[in-house]
Amino acid sequence: MLEVQNIHTFIGQFHILEGVSLTVPAGSIVALLGRNGAGKTTTLKSVLGLTPPRAGKIIFNGQEIQGRRSFDIAALGIGFVPEHRAIFRDLSVAENLRIAERRKGDFARKEAFIFSLFPDLQRLIKLSGANLSGGQQQMLAVARALVPDNKLLLIDEPSEGLAPVIIEQMMEAIRQLSAETTVLLVEQNFIVASRLAQHYVIIEEGRSVQHGLMADLVNDKETIHRYLGAA
Amino acid sequence: MSAATNPYPPSRSGWLKNNAGWLALTLLLLALPFLAALLDGQTPANVLASETGNAKFMQGLLIEVFILAIYAISYDLILGVTGLLSFGHAMFFAVGAYATGIALKTMGWGLGQTLLAVIVASIVQALLFALVLPRVKGITFALVTLGLASVFSIVVRSSDLAAYTGADVGLQGVIVPALLNTNTARFRFYVIALLATVLVYLVYRRFVDSPTGRVCIAIRENENRALMLGYNTFTFKLVALLLSSAAAAFAGMLHALHQPIVSPNVASLGYTVAALLMILIGGVGTLSGALFGAAVFRLLEFFLDRWFGEIANSLLGLIYIGLVMFLPYGIVGTWRARSFQIKQGWDRLLRLLHLQHRAP
Repeated sequence: MLEVQNIHTFIGQFHILEGVSLTVPAGSIVALLGRNGAGKTTTLKSVLGLTPPRAGKIIFNGQEIQGRRSFDIAALGIGFVPEHRAIFRDLSVAENLRIAERRKGDFARKEAFIFSLFPDLQRLIKLSGANLSGGQQQMLAVARALVPDNKLLLIDEPSEGLAPVIIEQMMEAIRQLSAETTVLLVEQNFIVASRLAQHYVIIEEGRSVQHGLMADLVNDKETIHRYLGAA
Repeated sequence: MSAATNPYPPSRSGWLKNNAGWLALTLLLLALPFLAALLDGQTPANVLASETGNAKFMQGLLIEVFILAIYAISYDLILGVTGLLSFGHAMFFAVGAYATGIALKTMGWGLGQTLLAVIVASIVQALLFALVLPRVKGITFALVTLGLASVFSIVVRSSDLAAYTGADVGLQGVIVPALLNTNTARFRFYVIALLATVLVYLVYRRFVDSPTGRVCIAIRENENRALMLGYNTFTFKLVALLLSSAAAAFAGMLHALHQPIVSPNVASLGYTVAALLMILIGGVGTLSGALFGAAVFRLLEFFLDRWFGEIANSLLGLIYIGLVMFLPYGIVGTWRARSFQIKQGWDRLLRLLHLQHRAP
């Protein structure tokens, strides 16, 4: 579904990505792992054209998308759930969902599915985004990406700063939505990532250094320790 | 879709009820000249005949408030709603004023052609601002727009164009058609200015409540997020600029008809700052705040000047400081947030004056 081939991305003068390659097979969840500052978020932003890569190829469903404008890339069916609960605080929950419609009636079609994943949101529909708790905002951010028919979701740090019980809820929701959508997941919390994803890619200092099946990585304590610093 | 989750509940039936306050205010403003006349010992017929008196004077002052209100709300649409910091907004107003003055005085056109000229001019200037939109953002956009407005200001002041713009003196004695002559038909002009203000407000509010307007709010909050949802944000900013330019130029047109002078001061940075002040007083991004801000701005200026003469400007400054201390979100913004910060306001004021030490 998504193939990133040896991309190089600069932010200002800084060479952030120095060769990242990864493949996201359709219907799977792929976890993008690595330490803080390794380039995980920049990889997602490069796919989306927010920080366009200077070299390399990004192929989505057989089309090369590097160099296209962000809103054109999004319109191909790539949804983004940014880190830090990036909702619109001045809009209500309903408006946050409505604004994500790409075709009229998207929200009406997906409403039942979205509220089955996040029943809380239905109750809060009229509140403004600023009045939601952190967990509710994160749910809304994920829900918003589900409104249009996205073929691929890029989810950045969904568990960051959330209470354990909310993380469980979020994981369950991601597991359920992955039945309909392919997911590329950036996640610091290795336990969360390992329980959700079937594949992994590790990024270290702007380079993709290792990839494979999550089931193999879980037993590879040395790799986990070396690249992720987790035990 | 069930009623409980309908994000846009039907509101048309309750429109009158929701807007009862506005309707009452409009009617009150319509009746005000007559009330003032009665208090002054004049008859309603005197008002309609534009006879000199307090009622006529008061209408003149309020017409200025209405014009400033349209100008301020047009700034709120791009700054408060869409988040475009433009330091060239005076140009949006001045282009309308100069287009009107030049068309009526220099070219000797009729009212219809003049209105057409103002509309064309307003579209052209919005497109000019839009030209730089995709290239610069934030403070750079502010500086580029400041530059554009400065160029305009220099051009209208230049002596080479004195035959058209009157250079430093401006356009004196714009020839106003009898239909809109504020001296002989003041009440008519008053009603037109009032209804224009109401109309601009209603159109803007409808726009902000529409899906397009919601995207503008989203852009103000975070443009990248709006892009990520698949929106070509440039288009939305362009629409906001066009709407803003249209209203501001129309305000400029009313200004030129009412005064009937076009001074180069309306193209100066000071006029942009005035727009900023008005929406800060009223509440940025609230739309209705711009209307209240304009009223406070003009009426304070007028009455302080009348009562205190020379020290009026110093008092005005103090009042603005007080407003910022006690109403940090402006009149309407603070009212909506229901966060009247009387106590915090005093603390802020005392800290400012170094009478109280900052809490550790």
